[in-house]
Amino acid sequence: MKFGTYTFLVVILLSIFSCKKEPVPVSECIEGCMDSLALNYNPEATIENESCLYFSNTPYVIETPYGFPNMNIPSDNPMTIEGVLLGEKLFKDPILSANNTQACINCHQQNFSFSEPNQYSTGIDNIQGTRNASALINIGWNTSFNWDGSSLTLEEQAFEPITNQIEMHNNWNNVESELNSHTDYPTLFKEAFDIDYIDSNHVVKAIAQFERTLISANSKLDRYLNNEEQLTISELNGYAIFNTEKGDCFHCHASQLFMDNQFHNNGLDIEPFLDLGRSKVTLNALDNGKFKTPTLRNIEMSAPYMHDGRFATLEEVVEHYDSGGKYSTTVDPLMKKLGIGLQLTNQEKIDLVAYLKTLTDHEFITQ
Amino acid sequence: MKKIFLFLTVISFFLSACKKEKGCMDPTATNYNSEATLDNGDCNYAPISGCTDNSAINYLATATTNDGSCEYLSVNLNFKHYVDGIELVVNEMIYTNPSSDNYSIQTLRYLISDITLHTNNGNKILLDEVHFIDISIDSTLTLNIPQINYQNYTSISFTMGLDSAKNITNLFLNENFFPSFVWPEFLGGGYHYMQLEGDFNTVFNGYTTHTGGASGIDFSFNKIFPIIDITDININMEITNWYKNPETIDLTTDGIMENIEKQIILKANGIEDVFSVN
Repeated sequence: MKFGTYTFLVVILLSIFSCKKEPVPVSECIEGCMDSLALNYNPEATIENESCLYFSNTPYVIETPYGFPNMNIPSDNPMTIEGVLLGEKLFKDPILSANNTQACINCHQQNFSFSEPNQYSTGIDNIQGTRNASALINIGWNTSFNWDGSSLTLEEQAFEPITNQIEMHNNWNNVESELNSHTDYPTLFKEAFDIDYIDSNHVVKAIAQFERTLISANSKLDRYLNNEEQLTISELNGYAIFNTEKGDCFHCHASQLFMDNQFHNNGLDIEPFLDLGRSKVTLNALDNGKFKTPTLRNIEMSAPYMHDGRFATLEEVVEHYDSGGKYSTTVDPLMKKLGIGLQLTNQEKIDLVAYLKTLTDHEFITQ
Repeated sequence: MKKIFLFLTVISFFLSACKKEKGCMDPTATNYNSEATLDNGDCNYAPISGCTDNSAINYLATATTNDGSCEYLSVNLNFKHYVDGIELVVNEMIYTNPSSDNYSIQTLRYLISDITLHTNNGNKILLDEVHFIDISIDSTLTLNIPQINYQNYTSISFTMGLDSAKNITNLFLNENFFPSFVWPEFLGGGYHYMQLEGDFNTVFNGYTTHTGGASGIDFSFNKIFPIIDITDININMEITNWYKNPETIDLTTDGIMENIEKQIILKANGIEDVFSVN
């Protein structure tokens, strides 16, 4: 009986052991995250070491400056710290151009308020464009982009230069394959957007997020309005000219944004226009020769001026408005002192330029 | 023994006489008890279906169940613009103003605020706090306010521009008239009430009739008009009348935003007969 019981236990134990899998050889023990939903999922891991990291990006909060409206951020591209940092890296990386020689920042240089000092920009094939590179400053508050407003979002706009034949002259297949085989980008896109394959939509989303952080609201004028700094007599005179119908600058360069998100013909040329501007988009002849009002913030740093960069200095710009401009059928009624102009004295012109320079934000071009 | 029998009979008679049938005595109720002699207050009625929301046009006070048939008052405001009684045509030098200037109209944008419906007995409802009209943007030319409380509204009032409680810099940062309607702090702050622009006499001459709170003074004005068809209301602007009655004003509008005298005249002309409602 005792022997019988003993035999029974042995048989039971044997049967239990025989069910147990073969022990894994030590050489095949791979510790790692075994959750396929985790960012660092290791498909070869055999031992869960509880190292799994899951997707969580960090919201990036835009601080709305005094007197600015809320920034209009597309709901499908919320701002995140990861997205902004990725966007900045892409903005500065020539990988986006066909021959890896040009980045966005080549034509949108920070020390020129994210524009460039040349009248026209030159693309990778040494071909020049026909318009002056726009300054990228407070553009999160723009309701359309490019001088003719051809893009309605920053995301949409960012598609253009990359494939534009006289700019980066690339194609998206090429961009995507380079980014996907890059050592850093797949991880950065994963962190920012939780995607495993980098596509064009997410490239422009990241760039747009970065562009929305290019905010300037710390100029001498801002500090003056905040009672932190005094303006000179000349600057104050310029302030008065700007903000009354004497100079009548404020209708287009309105509010703390110093622009009106609209399109105007400011009397630069007679017809026929070399560049039709806004009507290229609207196909409406009433929009011929109209261009988007740029902000005047940091205007000192973003010479040359106008859509075609025809004026090298602010003095030339003031001279244009003082002259009254040239007649064309679509010239703005606000500009219609044709042949008369503003009739500013030389001192008043100096004062107006001095005021415009109080809009310079040194922090914006250095940080 | 007989006496006892009688006694019991009398008692039982009284007892049965005291016992009354209790029940619902309302013949319109579903549980009406025709035998009942004492109403127990427990009547059930057939549900009456209808609109039970008293803010609807077809509110049925006797309805007990809402059948989803409620219809609400929806008000449509149409903003229309005329010159000398004829519908506005833009960008054509076809008009002559009371000062004998030929002129065209290129831009017309303005703010109407505190749009309110009134009943005869003093009730009112605010339809919109501020509405921006731009003749070049079709969507601004109509304003539909759905689902408003139904009452017998007999008049509509509105303010041309913004009164001093509203005409404050930065108050309307996220409205569609920002930033183009900003009136510089330097000139009193707030917003333009109206930008009426075009050419006069020659295509080389622009005019800009801009009204607003010059020097911080309130030049807005309130108008009230009777209404008949409440669902479709036309608010008409006769543009020529800004320039006449009671006082004729020409299109030489240099410095108009600082010119208190001209703002006073434009306000007086505006009150007189610029607006009509039908």
